[in-house]
Amino acid sequence: MLHLLKIDLKKMTNYRTFWVVCGLYFVTLAFTTASGMEFLKWLASFVEGFGQKININRIPLYHFPDVWQNLIWISGLFKIVLSIMVVISITNEYQYRTIRQNIIDGMSRWEFLLSKILTNVLLSLMSVAMIFLIGLITGMIYSPEIILADVFTDLEFFPAYFLEIFAFLSYALMLGILVQRSGLTIILLLLSHMIEAIIKVNLPDQVGWLKQFFPMQSITNLVSLPFARYALQEIQDYVAVGAVAIAATWAFLFNYFAYMRLTKSDI
Amino acid sequence: METVLSTNKLTKNFGRLCAVNRLDLEVKRGQVFGMLGPNGSGKTTTLGMLMGVTNPTSGSFTWFGEPATHLTRKKIGAVLEHPIFYPYLSGQKNLELNAMVKGADPANIAKVLEVVELSGRKDDKYKTYSLGMKQRLAIASALVSDPIILILDEPTNGLDPMGIAEIREIIKRIAADGKTIILASHLLDEVQKVCTHFAVLRKGTLVHSGPVDDVGKGEEVVEVVAYHDDLVHILHEFRGALSVKQENGKFNVRMREDFHSVDLNKFLFEKGIVASHIITQKKSLEKQFLEILQEIQETKS
Repeated sequence: MLHLLKIDLKKMTNYRTFWVVCGLYFVTLAFTTASGMEFLKWLASFVEGFGQKININRIPLYHFPDVWQNLIWISGLFKIVLSIMVVISITNEYQYRTIRQNIIDGMSRWEFLLSKILTNVLLSLMSVAMIFLIGLITGMIYSPEIILADVFTDLEFFPAYFLEIFAFLSYALMLGILVQRSGLTIILLLLSHMIEAIIKVNLPDQVGWLKQFFPMQSITNLVSLPFARYALQEIQDYVAVGAVAIAATWAFLFNYFAYMRLTKSDI
Repeated sequence: METVLSTNKLTKNFGRLCAVNRLDLEVKRGQVFGMLGPNGSGKTTTLGMLMGVTNPTSGSFTWFGEPATHLTRKKIGAVLEHPIFYPYLSGQKNLELNAMVKGADPANIAKVLEVVELSGRKDDKYKTYSLGMKQRLAIASALVSDPIILILDEPTNGLDPMGIAEIREIIKRIAADGKTIILASHLLDEVQKVCTHFAVLRKGTLVHSGPVDDVGKGEEVVEVVAYHDDLVHILHEFRGALSVKQENGKFNVRMREDFHSVDLNKFLFEKGIVASHIITQKKSLEKQFLEILQEIQETKS
């Protein structure tokens, strides 16, 4: 397994676009998640212009345990950048026809797919590690007092975050294998949420419960929007088991469809 | 001799088009096996099936007497159609990747780069290579795992005469090492120069298969030039002449069985004519190939 991961990483780490896109992703991620207080300051001064005042120190954006769900929800927005890298990685193999040569050289089709899936796992884990680190540091800085029990509360958001990234990257990989052209795949990827939204809107009310089973929705449902709590509204501050089950099923299906397509078609 | 490859009624349909039709082939160890056929005769499709990238519609094949898996492919070095590499990687890095996929010793890389004379450019990106260099890198990648069998598909396609000669030299050197080589080509002359055995495909069907040495057996054609006004008639008088044709100022005499150039020479001498040029034409694979294709057409119509 490690050997397969090494093969795919060798393809990527010598590819400049990979560094550019991944660099962009991780830098933006770090920058955005770490600059929440600056954003609040800007918000306060903006609101002040309308004659209102918010005491930003009373918004516990970075306090343990709030920091975990807050950062994870925000960073979930950036997974699209990472997924574009995945699309480029797989569609390059088709464009250069190197997938063909890999198979000729003795990879099985499953091994080829697995090498890509393993890279997806690695990218997801790196995102998790990064957000954990930033959360830990900013939490230490901004929390008025550090209570260990608070630090370790809500950590179940991390496995959920991992699944969120991994499921979406699996979707991108599958789309790339089905479409095989980078431009078209990226457009479809960007439109996926919108297409799904249109279908959901047109769904009759009686089957409204179906909405949670839609692929994009199921990925979004893993970590719900936390910020409403600062406007004294109730939020879902836990990971729902049902949502995990649905998203995990989709992640499996995406990779399974990719596998079926790879084994059935001529390369 | 050990059978390396054997196919059994191998068939591939693309929709209604039958690209390969019930193909039976056998390649034995140490052969340099040429697959001949015009463009679109199913050579690459056949090799694609043998290398696991094209799924056969029906039929089967075995490598080394066993059904093929991806592990078998690691023992085969193959380049189909045209060289395929990551354009943004250097030649060296591309070969490192090939070696990783094949599970080959990376120490081989320097060696195979030497064989194809690319050592000087190994750190340049693949996309900067000329076509000839790309073809040579492809041969290097096929050799990197020190395979028992080498499959080359049109290895000299698009090269200039010097490039073609270089690639041929490389193939001959590899064949001299005792490796089995399967060479697909539409260039007859190429197959004749490097192959020991050959098969002819036409529209996906095998129409001929046998040793290259057998080519040229059968009736002889003798080319004659002599200064005599009425040479045609005199040649016709020759008992051994089946037919006489004039071509480029020379006379081509098709000989009856058991008649050779010596007999013709003697006959002319007795007539008081001294030939200034007399040569037995070696029947080329090209002629044989065209004849084979023609025969098929005649039997069909």
